[in-house]
Amino acid sequence: MVAVCGVGAVASAGVDVEEIFASLCGGWGAAAEPRGFDLSKYRTKLAFEIDDRPEEGGDVPLRSSRWLEHVVEVAARDAGLGEDLRDVPILVGTTLRELRSVELSWRDGIAFDTDELHFGTALRRRFNASQTFTVANACAASLYALALGTDLLNAGAADAVIVAGVDNISESTYGLLDRCYSDPPDALRPFDKGRRGMLQGEGAAAVVLRRASQATSGKVYGLVRSVAVNCDAYHPSAPDAKSIALAVRQAHERAGLTPGDIDLLLLHGTGTPLNDEAEARSLGEVFGEVRPSPWMTAIKSMTGHTAGASGLHSLLVALESMRTGVVPPVVGVTDVMDEMAGLRLVRDRAVRAAVRFAQVNAFGFGGLNAVAVVEKAADR
Amino acid sequence: MTVITGVGTAIGGVARPADLLLTTTPGGEDPITGLSGRGLRYKDRATKLALCAGRDALTDAGLLLDPGLAVPGESIGVVVSSNFGNVDTVCATVSTIAEHGYGATSPMMLPATASNVTASWLAISFGLRGVNLTLCNGPTSGLDAVYWAGMMIDAGRARRMLVVGVEPVNEVVTHLVGPLFDGAAALVLESEEAARERGAGSLARLGRYARRETHDEAVGHVLEQAGPVGLWCLPEQPPTAEETAGAATHDLTALLGRCSGALGVVQCVAGASWLSAGGEGAVLASVNASDAAAATVLTPAPTTAGTGR
Repeated sequence: MVAVCGVGAVASAGVDVEEIFASLCGGWGAAAEPRGFDLSKYRTKLAFEIDDRPEEGGDVPLRSSRWLEHVVEVAARDAGLGEDLRDVPILVGTTLRELRSVELSWRDGIAFDTDELHFGTALRRRFNASQTFTVANACAASLYALALGTDLLNAGAADAVIVAGVDNISESTYGLLDRCYSDPPDALRPFDKGRRGMLQGEGAAAVVLRRASQATSGKVYGLVRSVAVNCDAYHPSAPDAKSIALAVRQAHERAGLTPGDIDLLLLHGTGTPLNDEAEARSLGEVFGEVRPSPWMTAIKSMTGHTAGASGLHSLLVALESMRTGVVPPVVGVTDVMDEMAGLRLVRDRAVRAAVRFAQVNAFGFGGLNAVAVVEKAADR
Repeated sequence: MTVITGVGTAIGGVARPADLLLTTTPGGEDPITGLSGRGLRYKDRATKLALCAGRDALTDAGLLLDPGLAVPGESIGVVVSSNFGNVDTVCATVSTIAEHGYGATSPMMLPATASNVTASWLAISFGLRGVNLTLCNGPTSGLDAVYWAGMMIDAGRARRMLVVGVEPVNEVVTHLVGPLFDGAAALVLESEEAARERGAGSLARLGRYARRETHDEAVGHVLEQAGPVGLWCLPEQPPTAEETAGAATHDLTALLGRCSGALGVVQCVAGASWLSAGGEGAVLASVNASDAAAATVLTPAPTTAGTGR
């Protein structure tokens, strides 16, 4: 078993874990006009951006690298690791690496060194880190990286591991999503019958992991009981409910739990027609017999889809729900999907709930599924 | 312990993996000629190269039937290493939008804007439902990918892993980094037990790996427990003759050009071919990059009755 001993996060909804969680519980996270693109070229005019660009002018490179450095620094300090991380493996889950910087280099001639395309270069410069791995596993990336991090610890290959996720919005994905919508979304409405698609978000998150047996002093935010990963091998973008259900069952099995033990689900919930349908069907398959169902929520209606970072963002929210006994809602859902009937989706207002075990879902293009089970830290 | 049970290449002028041990390539037809299957029009070049090399490695390992697999799809995972695999789609998309608007793009290209598109197509094309990873980790990425493949097997997440290192040449890649290797190399890594159960022979055994601040540290770490080095597959900037201390060396960058994220896999395929042809001693593969250096050791395959190839 692995303990979460330090945390860091940033997203449009807040500058740290506490602020993000407060925004979600208060229902405050909202989309705005993106500032990095010429919006006259697009129908969609909404995203959940981090507003850190210079006042004037267009986009700038290396925004993801900056956020990553920040959340790694915060999490490492939180766990008492300091700023020299030469002996600490760092796994970074990402969908788009620094591809936005590549776009700016290619189209606008903005200087960019391709050594910065993977995050090892920034992490070496900043933290002396050399055991660094950029895992480009689409929107399941940070939970996939979490699986690798727990494997490293369980193999005894390290005593502390940092797992992070980061993404900013590339124009190629923004434009192609715009192309794919039949009607551009005015909000991200997970599990709503009228959902029109996903809105992009950006941000970063990091956790410091240690073997639970060695995390006897210092903070412990929670335990990672298991992370299951698989691949649909079915379609480059459409998900497969059966394969998702397999990953969920495997996560429970690895955690030594059954569906009835799970108190809270942090769903992937992208607000796209296909994802939410497949995810809801997998929920029916696994949790159909559990009455009342576990509480279920999703963060993307208020953070946007933070892509490679989204799995860890959800996981950090799950740990905050355990600590505070409060589960944030999804907002903007007026007519919930039939497939979610009988499932306790938290809507509009936060609910109070005692949570010991939570399941966190993250899925990505290419049929990537990653499911984590986390446990509340013991009081001490 | 894990062993390499199959290798494949999709490199112009390299007719078979063992040709990676030559000192010149004769040149030859584009390795993706003859690739067929659904949706080729929407696959990027890196994906096509990877599908060819992956098919050959799976076939070499005796895992690919016609049609289907000789083992359950859940038992096979995938690791792809590439730094520039999908930059063509990303940049062509922003150019198209700038010139003609989003309406001129194809929605079919959306999945290819994410860097895992190649690993995704390998899984779909061959039915590989195990853990599926994409490492985009700079010049060491190929050796890193081989390491993570071994780790996935040791951790019980898969019994065997298809590892593919691939880089494509196109206008965008040339703009970003100049001349680069165009091709793919692939290997199948398998637990010794899983290979034995299905009576598969092996080419080499995977040994130690390290990613460290300096090349000396990485090489020193992996050689601690290794016997004499019989062949050293060199990094892009080769060490001096003094540093290689008399070991036979092979410079794949001199043969193929800068291989970036493919290099480590190309080195391991060359090394496995050398060992399976009776090479004596260990194979050392090393890569030196600005952020770190990586090294890996391969040793001769275990000799058990009935596994001769």
